Amino acid sequence: MQFWALIVDAFRESRDRKIFWVLVVMTFVIVACMLCIGFEQDRVTFLFGAWEVEGAYYSPLSAIGRSHIIGLAVYLLVPVFLGWIGVILMIVATANMFPNLMERGAVDVLLAKPLGRPRLFLYKYLAGMTFVLFQAALFVGSTFLVLGFRWRVWVPGYLLCIPLLVLLFSYLYCVSVLVAVRTRSAVAATLVTLFAWVLFAAPAIALDTYEQFPGMKQDNRMYRTLRTVARIMPKTRDIPYLAARWTNAGVSMDIFPRTVMEAGLDEEKRAQLERAREKEHDELAKNPAFSIGSSLLFEAAVVVCAMWMFNRRDF
Amino acid sequence: MVGLTEMTNWAVDLIEVRKTYGRRIQALRGVNIQVGRGEIFGLLGPNGAGKTTLVKIMTTVVRPTQAAGTILGRPIGHRGKLGRVGYLPENHRYPPYLTGVQLLDYYGALAKVPQGRRRENARRLLDRVSMTQWADTRIDKYSKGMMQRLGLAQALINDPELLVLDEPTDGLDPVGRRDVRELLVELKRAGTTIFLNSHLLSEVERVCDRVSILVEGLVARQGTLRELTERTVEYRITVSGGAEALRGKLAIAGATVEGSVVTLSTPDLGRVNEVVDLLRAAGVLIEAVEPRRFSLEDILVQAMGRPLGRAALGPAATPPRV
Repeated sequence: MQFWALIVDAFRESRDRKIFWVLVVMTFVIVACMLCIGFEQDRVTFLFGAWEVEGAYYSPLSAIGRSHIIGLAVYLLVPVFLGWIGVILMIVATANMFPNLMERGAVDVLLAKPLGRPRLFLYKYLAGMTFVLFQAALFVGSTFLVLGFRWRVWVPGYLLCIPLLVLLFSYLYCVSVLVAVRTRSAVAATLVTLFAWVLFAAPAIALDTYEQFPGMKQDNRMYRTLRTVARIMPKTRDIPYLAARWTNAGVSMDIFPRTVMEAGLDEEKRAQLERAREKEHDELAKNPAFSIGSSLLFEAAVVVCAMWMFNRRDF
Repeated sequence: MVGLTEMTNWAVDLIEVRKTYGRRIQALRGVNIQVGRGEIFGLLGPNGAGKTTLVKIMTTVVRPTQAAGTILGRPIGHRGKLGRVGYLPENHRYPPYLTGVQLLDYYGALAKVPQGRRRENARRLLDRVSMTQWADTRIDKYSKGMMQRLGLAQALINDPELLVLDEPTDGLDPVGRRDVRELLVELKRAGTTIFLNSHLLSEVERVCDRVSILVEGLVARQGTLRELTERTVEYRITVSGGAEALRGKLAIAGATVEGSVVTLSTPDLGRVNEVVDLLRAAGVLIEAVEPRRFSLEDILVQAMGRPLGRAALGPAATPPRV
């Protein structure tokens, strides 16, 4: 009863924010744009046939065409719209949930209820994710239907993007909550969370860069440290690969026709492209249990720390 | 141990409650307060005395440095018993996106009130605080007085055994204050224990059975209003004239003269008679002799260690340990 009350309240709170409606409108705009595009056997049509481009790379009738279409959704639509723009907006929108909760006069009534501080904190934490759950479900659900009905590509695995997006958001939300509990400031929570997002990805990016140079030794202290830190940190960069893996989308490069990519490229460029493709194959082959498990472990540690601070605090 | 405390008849039994903020600020320095079941108890004190801290400790909003005792027969902060407590904090803030009915339903659910009873209580309470017509309006449209009325309804949504009110009439107009007083008396009749923290002395005087005065984190006075106010502060002797000529003699007797009023700051009836004899001997006609009793304000001022205006009562009372 109490959990449900907090969930409903969180939804009402998020619905009261403009960002909520901005994201809803953006979703409908994207869905409308997708509806305007049609993939036929040998061509792509725009604006319901007003404009056509020949090409069989996106034909939903062929396996490679289906892969391209799914890749378009998994690597472009979801990560760019929800994975980047959406998550940033959601971080901003949810940053003041805990500062609002902890405001004098507001928290007093809640703490005087037979709930207990740890439970109140955890319920509120989970309730905070209803915002992203709703937005992810709306976006992925509606694009799933467009993929199916309009583009004739039914991919049930694509719906896993919903929990994956919630997961990505939760890796960051824990930081936002920790900062909010410590400072009671939504601005501080937003800025630190965005910085943390960069920080989480930094070790993995540094490792990638390191590995780009074949001459560099991979057994020195710096490399080992980077690898250890990358293993501990939440793996935000793995989310698109996990989505691709579960939707059998193949590697991201496939969304652009190989001939287009390779046309006019010199030997060195082609080699770089091949390395990138290999890298993505490696990413797709990663153990999802380790990626999600270690990230959740990090999140749990941050949440426990924030909860401890919340429990100790006088209001 | 729990069995024993369950048997206590106190609704609130606070023993040696201490709270130190940081290392230096001692908000509460060992407070002992007992509130009987079904009584209205008033907590008074100057700003910074620790009243709100004490209320917040009772409702688990603030963690005490040290505290023993019980609330409704269970240790302070007992989750089950918190469901039987209603609380209206000072300067409360409620989610602005909720309507009156939604707010009561939300806090009722958090207090584990079953849905059917929540709905019934919400409608009944909104009607009781004269907010029915605003039930479905977002509360960010409410005035301060309306928020206070809604806050009261919120505190009552779980039919509490103990109602803790921190400045309940704050922001209310005189009619609203009267309504609140009537509501409190009504609740008392129904058996609800009320713990009232208010700086409005007249309000406390009108409704409270017992009061406690908190000064610098300690209970300075505690008792029934009658116990606290039965002592006489001073006597006023109204004369028909001629007392000015006796000013010197009256001053020696400890009395002051202002126009036709002779004031004697003493509870000692013998000294009053001495002054009366003095006046009568000089042929002054006495119209009235009026004892002036302690008001709650006098007690509060005295407890704060300040002289009571003209009628200074001598050395300030030191806060006794209860």
